[in-house]
Amino acid sequence: MQSNNNKKSHPAAPARKGLNNMKRKNVEYGFSYISLMIMIPVFLLTAVFLLVFPRSGESQIEKRKLAEFPKFTFQSYFSGEFTSGVTNWYDDTVPYRDDFKKMGYNFKSIFGIHTEDEVKIVGSPVAVVNDGKKDSSDSGRDTKTETKTDTKTETKTDKSEDKSNKVNTEKDEYKEASNGLIVVKHEGHYRGLELFGGGSGDAYVEALNNYHKDLGDSVQIYSMTPATASEYYLPENFKDVNASQKETTDSISKRLDSSIKYVDVITELGNHSAEDIYLRTDHHWTPLGAYYAAREFAKAAGVDFKDISTYSKKDIPNFCGTLAAWAEDPNLFNDSETFSYYVPSNYDKCTTYYYDTSLNDTGTGAFFNQVGNPESNAYLTFMGGDEQVVKVETNVRNGRKLMIVKDSYGNAVPGYLFGSFESIYVVDMRYFNKNLVNYIKQEGVTDLVFTMVTFSAVGGNADNLDTLRTQ
Amino acid sequence: MVFSSLFFLYFFLAITLVAYYWCKTLEKKNIVLIVSSLIFYAWGEPVWVILLVLSAFINWFSGLLIGAELKKKNGKPKLYAALAIVIDLSFLIIFKYSGFLVENLNGLLRLSIPVPQITMPIGISFFTFQAISYIMDCLWETVPPQRQFRRFLLYLSMFPQLVAGPIVRYSVIEKEIVQRKVSAVDISEGAMRAIIGVSKKVIVANNLYAVVEQFFGSDISNLSFLGTWYTVILYSLYVYFDFSGYSDIAIGLGRMFGFHFNENFNYPFICKTISEFWQRWHISLSTFFRDYLFYVPIFGKQRKYFNLFLVWFCTGMWHGASWNFIFWGLYFGIFIFIETRIGKKKMKKWNIFLTHLYSKVIIVIGFGIFYFTDLSQLGRFFLNISGISMLSNGNAFSDLLTWNSMLNNLYLIIFAIIVSMPVLPKIKYFFFNWGNNTVYAVGKIGAAVTCSVLLLISSLLLVDSTNNPFLYFRF
Repeated sequence: MQSNNNKKSHPAAPARKGLNNMKRKNVEYGFSYISLMIMIPVFLLTAVFLLVFPRSGESQIEKRKLAEFPKFTFQSYFSGEFTSGVTNWYDDTVPYRDDFKKMGYNFKSIFGIHTEDEVKIVGSPVAVVNDGKKDSSDSGRDTKTETKTDTKTETKTDKSEDKSNKVNTEKDEYKEASNGLIVVKHEGHYRGLELFGGGSGDAYVEALNNYHKDLGDSVQIYSMTPATASEYYLPENFKDVNASQKETTDSISKRLDSSIKYVDVITELGNHSAEDIYLRTDHHWTPLGAYYAAREFAKAAGVDFKDISTYSKKDIPNFCGTLAAWAEDPNLFNDSETFSYYVPSNYDKCTTYYYDTSLNDTGTGAFFNQVGNPESNAYLTFMGGDEQVVKVETNVRNGRKLMIVKDSYGNAVPGYLFGSFESIYVVDMRYFNKNLVNYIKQEGVTDLVFTMVTFSAVGGNADNLDTLRTQ
Repeated sequence: MVFSSLFFLYFFLAITLVAYYWCKTLEKKNIVLIVSSLIFYAWGEPVWVILLVLSAFINWFSGLLIGAELKKKNGKPKLYAALAIVIDLSFLIIFKYSGFLVENLNGLLRLSIPVPQITMPIGISFFTFQAISYIMDCLWETVPPQRQFRRFLLYLSMFPQLVAGPIVRYSVIEKEIVQRKVSAVDISEGAMRAIIGVSKKVIVANNLYAVVEQFFGSDISNLSFLGTWYTVILYSLYVYFDFSGYSDIAIGLGRMFGFHFNENFNYPFICKTISEFWQRWHISLSTFFRDYLFYVPIFGKQRKYFNLFLVWFCTGMWHGASWNFIFWGLYFGIFIFIETRIGKKKMKKWNIFLTHLYSKVIIVIGFGIFYFTDLSQLGRFFLNISGISMLSNGNAFSDLLTWNSMLNNLYLIIFAIIVSMPVLPKIKYFFFNWGNNTVYAVGKIGAAVTCSVLLLISSLLLVDSTNNPFLYFRF
């Protein structure tokens, strides 16, 4: 029987020259005290800092409200929810959390070699084909918490209270056609690019064709599916892990009913790719990119369109969007950009209406909002973010009523059409909870445009379109 | 509760340390340790903490019965030992293996027995094996049975080693439970060891795992030959840093409380044979099986080889209720069998480069088996790593993503490889044994400053542990 009692002895005392055992021991003890005098304050000060400093409530980097201290019940205790909730609360609400996170990302950047033309890859991109065979893949980020800070100034009191610091917690059901994310340096600036995994877009095609069947020729339907930035700024050697969004939308357009107008904004935006048409730190386009898309749409709809020179430009400096947090990339965090949006000249002659979940009018408000923490929430400027339905009444009198069924890309579009339609309805296909066909008929809509980015058109968001039609 | 969390380090541990050193007598210090250990366990297992206490009581009482039977002329100590071990193993089978067993039974016999949905209590494998070692040691009279329940409860539940080992034998801490002195050297060395463990886990292991998940986390059918090797090597390093990091924390914390646990890892990647690897890897588990299973005669004269495979079957099974773990154990068993047949002397004559290459390739592929619980993914892994998928599936030899990942993590990987070798002991030797007093002073103070910085960096990275970025109104 072999025993395992070879207990590890104390570390060997130093066998340095000129020191007897007693002296060695004393020196060892002395330096142990000195070591403790160095380490204990670091440990205790950190513990005290975490205990007494005000805890963080929201993360601007992660765009979410941080964990709350859990409520104690016997059930929550015995299920383990309470104790894990306390740990999560403590770890999640560290004082100055965002600042420490950025420091952590900076530290991680020393792990590898960084060159001028380096590419950082986030996620697991896989090879894709451009014929739409690869369907959307779940990126694994399916549970999301939304924090929206709204500062509408013109709304009724109850409405602003209702929307202030609105927090939605929901299971996000759509699957993205995302194939990972890369961060590249392009013309002196860092840019996050979501790789497109491709997809057939069958659900999108079927839904739009069904809308046409339901609405007939009384409503002109348009399909406008812009691409994300990866379509234009992707390094050549990443093409095999990124499906062509142009080919995907072309394939979609060919299968749409011939009376549905396809607005080819991907080509139009490509003509302006040298301009700032996409945000570098965020997954959205810039309002300028939305302008070119809206102009192309107005051309297809045959309505008046105001040149951008007639708008007043507003700047939000130091904007840093979602991609920086997703990529956990210090280069993106340190390379913020200016978010510029454009307010139409007839804005003060337009009225924006907001609605509750029963479609009851809850009052008027600003279309262009001054948002809290604009350096991370600038894209919420438009309507304060995603609303199930918003109506804008303009001073135009041409008998045309437009409905934009959209994802968040569509939020930046309506402002450019205030001089083109009498009324503009902005419907978010993820949140609208009534029968959309009935609503279109009831409101007398003449033009219906589906404005969804390609990722949405081939992903789970497209499934919602048919649900809206039949619910 | 996990060691690598801010809540554990700066709340639970801080309070426990203050309470521990506040108490003057050993009995009170022991009570602080018992209470904090039970809170620690109950934090993760509010219900199954009862199982821990029950297991402690049964084994403590069995130890007393065995002791009493041993004193009798015709006593039956083996009967009580067998009973205790059957109860211990029953707990393990019910909570850890029942789902796996029923699933396989259903599959094999085409039955439809409902699969039990039992959540495995944290650390059950560790405290059960500690209890078994105690019972066997009592039976073999290696240790006298502990008469006081609270002292035995302290042994079984002590939080530094409760949930992730090492498997501490009662004999190792028997005397320190009743008599120990904690010196400044113990606290200082223990703190440094614990901080090194936290750093290994948070700075190295967590970031290696992020890379591993990037490649192995989804379908690997199209992963290149080089990408598969790259990822599985990183995964091997990850497991080492993760597990040895936890062991370092356990050993360090134990020492801060005056206990001296045995080492659990001894730079396993410098081994030249698979047998040597297992003498250096998870030492407390391999010595447990060696002492309590391998040398126990079960198969009569043929026991040597039967026992060998039994040990490796159990080693695999211990790691998880899944076939890949069993394959993993038997895989190593096969190579140890081959090495035994070749003989140590012959293997020593082999070219040193070849022995290192042989052992590392076998170990690294072994970790591939360890990773893939999904057997179809495991099959793809073998096709990829052998290069067959290059021929059959047209997989590339290398790919852009692999090269990119290598560059972006180059220093981390080099650092991990260097630290997985016995470099730190050599640095310590230089500063503490070889140099003069000034070098010694620089070494001691430098170590304390380095550990403080490592603690701060680890804490900084732990802030990101709850990272859950919301891509607001994502499209």
